[in-house]
Amino acid sequence: MAIETIIHGSDLELHDMQGILIRGYGALPEAKYLLLGFEDRKLAKSYLKDMHLLITNGLVKPKDQAMNFALTASGIKTLGINEEDFSTFLREFKEGMTEPHRQFVLGDKGEFSAGNWDWGQPGGEKVDLLLMVFAKDHELMEKILDREKERMERFGVKLLHSLPTALLQDHKEHFGFRDDISQPRIKELAKTYQEGDFPAGEFFLGYRDLYDEYPLSPSVAEQEDSMDLLPISYENKQRKDLGKNGSYLVFRQMQQDVVAFWEYMKTKTISEEEAILLASKMVGRWPDGSPLTLCPDGPNMDLSQENDFNFWKEDKLGLKCPIGAHIRRTNPRDHLVTETNAKDSKEMAGKHRMLRKGRPYGKPLEADIDPLKMMMKADDGEERGLHFICLVTDIRRQFEFVQNSWVNFHKFGGLDQDADPIIGNHYQEGNLKTDEFSVPQFPVRKKYEKLPNFTKVRGGAYFFVPGMRAMKFLSKALE
Amino acid sequence: MSLIHRGLTLSFKVEENHLEQVNELLEAFNRQQPSKESLPDTFFISWLGVPPQVYAEKEKLPARILLMSSYVGSKRKHLQVLVEAIGEELRQVLAFTVGFPKEQITNKSLVRFLAKSSKFNTYYSGFKFISPKEVIPEKNLREWVYGWVEKQLQDPNFGTSTPQEIKDRIENAVEKDPNYNWAMKKPKGLGRSKWAMLSALGLFGLLMVLSLFIALVSIWWNLGSWVLLAWLFPFFIVSIFLLLVLLRKEENIEPPPIQVINDKDYLEIVSREKNKVVNEMTVIAPLKPGKFRRVFLAVSLRLVAMIRYFTYIPTVHTARWLQLDGGKRLVFIATFDNQSEAYAHDFVDSEQRSRNLAVIFSHVMGFPKTTWLIKRGENYRKDYMKGVRSFQFKTRFWYAFNTDLSVENLKNNRAFRLGLHKKMKEHEIRRWLLRL
Ligand code: HEM
Repeated sequence: MAIETIIHGSDLELHDMQGILIRGYGALPEAKYLLLGFEDRKLAKSYLKDMHLLITNGLVKPKDQAMNFALTASGIKTLGINEEDFSTFLREFKEGMTEPHRQFVLGDKGEFSAGNWDWGQPGGEKVDLLLMVFAKDHELMEKILDREKERMERFGVKLLHSLPTALLQDHKEHFGFRDDISQPRIKELAKTYQEGDFPAGEFFLGYRDLYDEYPLSPSVAEQEDSMDLLPISYENKQRKDLGKNGSYLVFRQMQQDVVAFWEYMKTKTISEEEAILLASKMVGRWPDGSPLTLCPDGPNMDLSQENDFNFWKEDKLGLKCPIGAHIRRTNPRDHLVTETNAKDSKEMAGKHRMLRKGRPYGKPLEADIDPLKMMMKADDGEERGLHFICLVTDIRRQFEFVQNSWVNFHKFGGLDQDADPIIGNHYQEGNLKTDEFSVPQFPVRKKYEKLPNFTKVRGGAYFFVPGMRAMKFLSKALE
Repeated sequence: MSLIHRGLTLSFKVEENHLEQVNELLEAFNRQQPSKESLPDTFFISWLGVPPQVYAEKEKLPARILLMSSYVGSKRKHLQVLVEAIGEELRQVLAFTVGFPKEQITNKSLVRFLAKSSKFNTYYSGFKFISPKEVIPEKNLREWVYGWVEKQLQDPNFGTSTPQEIKDRIENAVEKDPNYNWAMKKPKGLGRSKWAMLSALGLFGLLMVLSLFIALVSIWWNLGSWVLLAWLFPFFIVSIFLLLVLLRKEENIEPPPIQVINDKDYLEIVSREKNKVVNEMTVIAPLKPGKFRRVFLAVSLRLVAMIRYFTYIPTVHTARWLQLDGGKRLVFIATFDNQSEAYAHDFVDSEQRSRNLAVIFSHVMGFPKTTWLIKRGENYRKDYMKGVRSFQFKTRFWYAFNTDLSVENLKNNRAFRLGLHKKMKEHEIRRWLLRL
């Protein structure tokens, strides 16, 4: 395997982390997400044991292939963890994404409801493990998949779903906008310190977080770790830390209706240029990625990866980037309408970040993802979207908070009936409406009504990504 | 008319064995909510039965029924409104309480009985000086003006008018419309209510300044018995300092362990928050052992009440804190936007707010230890969240005048209305128009 060792992150135990925590494997364009189900504890443990050497750790930067995995609550249980140890996992993880209250918090009702999902739905097949496979080309991917299928067969592990991915041109997502620009910088991984860098504990278990505390980490009783594989728990010295160098992974398969998206923009505007402007207002960046806050009058290629901007001073009223735009809702930076100054806003908003790792799937409506061309296209019947994946150490505070209070709460930022225009669940129920989008302008804001759901959830689950030692523990101990 | 928001807290002792019946009754009332017309001055009512709790491992604090309302205007009038609107329900519930007359009582006597059970509370409102009867008209006004402007925009000249011209035309239209011309007058009693709310703080400040002044002047002149006043300021400062030192000693007393909430109960309690915009929570916990804690908290609550005009907690509609049972129990209730899990973050996510709240919550069982009142230790945040949930109780009856508008909506509607009367500069008008 061709690899290159990375030099930063000396404060982190990179060798004990799975690589997905550290990188997105952007150099490996082929990726598949396999959803697996265990049938038998012993076999499941053997399957995991057999996988040790195949898992890519955080220290290496693979040039041809990589493989990482994560477990659901049922997967962890199948591996033999007892009730007391299981109880140390986060409540949201244990309850799962489809528990009725979690669904309420996530806004998964109507078209988003878990009952309509293709996988992960309540009463559906039990997903235990997510295998993430990355390769430099199709041929190698096929080879790895053959190997994995053979391993699955050998250990009686069922392949429930094989979710394809396909990177799009210029790092775009299917609506035609550049994605994957803004990521929180992790202090321990950065070459130089910048104000606003995040401590590793926000995303990796076993390190201090923004509260200068160790995030809640799953643990096991000391005597269960007779092989002494795990470090001592920070919470309780009589226990061993199963979470160290791991993370929680949120997976949401989000189907995108590209035709409906551009159709809406077209019907609400009088020119193609305006249609693109409206779509950009919804995202908060131009299709090329340049932020509206910095170039409100038109895209600027030089700023297509720019992420150094704020809202309080630059655009408090949302005249450039609307307060309800996707990027302003998912990361309000230094402007929360409910706060009285930029410093407090920044402090509050910073507590709700996540490391995004997802990839698009499906054939693009137009190969070059040009909005002008996509606007003209009829529905091709293909399914496409984004496998949204993010890593957090506190599912409720980070992912669910964003999804609940910022994305779907129609009152976010003092608005009236606006959920996130791109990913919000838009509906009307009695006098409750969440399907509007407001663009502040003179003399009064322009209100766009009856937004359809441009995205829909097709599947999802909460996973736990164990560190390398924890993986060994789960496969070898608890017999 | 006073537009000050106030909290009424009524507390009644009840036999523990009646508690289940009381809570069932309250839940039945909850299903048949009183009409909004019958409660014209009331924003919220939280009503529940609270089981006994143990103070300092030895003293049993009694079961209680708590009725907590948020209202605008006079307390006497509010009690009358309550009795008119939910008198029958009150009689049925109070029949279980200790000391409630066995025979049928008149509305007047009921009001008197309730008044006697009322407790001091420190109250916060996030949308000060708005009365319930103004909420819907102000919302409708803003929507109507928005629609009116949109219509005018069909005339291309309208959009090119100056901000001042647009404001003038809006004011004209409002003035002319018989449904909305009320908005051209300022809300009655607004200025007076602001002053009244500041009066306690003003009086306190005045006394302190006077005390300092007399102390200074008495160096040169003999002021007779006036000189006693000079001691007021130093007495206040020394008392607070002394209390702090005594508190510091009590902070070392290890509180008894608490029963931390389990996942099932946690889920059950958060699952009750089914409203899309406004929800509520009630937390009731014994204080940590130490008599100076009780005194310190009582003093703090009174000082906080005095500065409430200036306090700000984002996304909170109303909140209150009070001590019961000789100061051995703290009651905290809040109504807020969205969900409690998000709202609790508004407290702990901000360094400054979590420090301010430590002034109150650090005295309470289940909440993390602090030293010198506000210095927080390791795992403060995690333990704070556990503390909140471990002492949260189900509010069995909850009435809310408004469940559709967020605090920001309420404030925005009010600011738009007040703008109709204001002279503004061009950039201010532009901002004002964005409120539409
Ligand atoms: C099909 C679904 C989605 C699409 C098409 C989409 C699209 C985008 C685009 C185009 C950007 C701008 C690029 C960047 O700043 O990196 C962005 C940013 C972002 N998105 Fe999404 N997104 C989707 C789902 C989600 C979900 C489910 C979440 C989380 C709840 C989310 C959270 C974020 C965050 C945190 C940012 C960065 C904002 C910033 O820091 O400025 N996205 N998304």
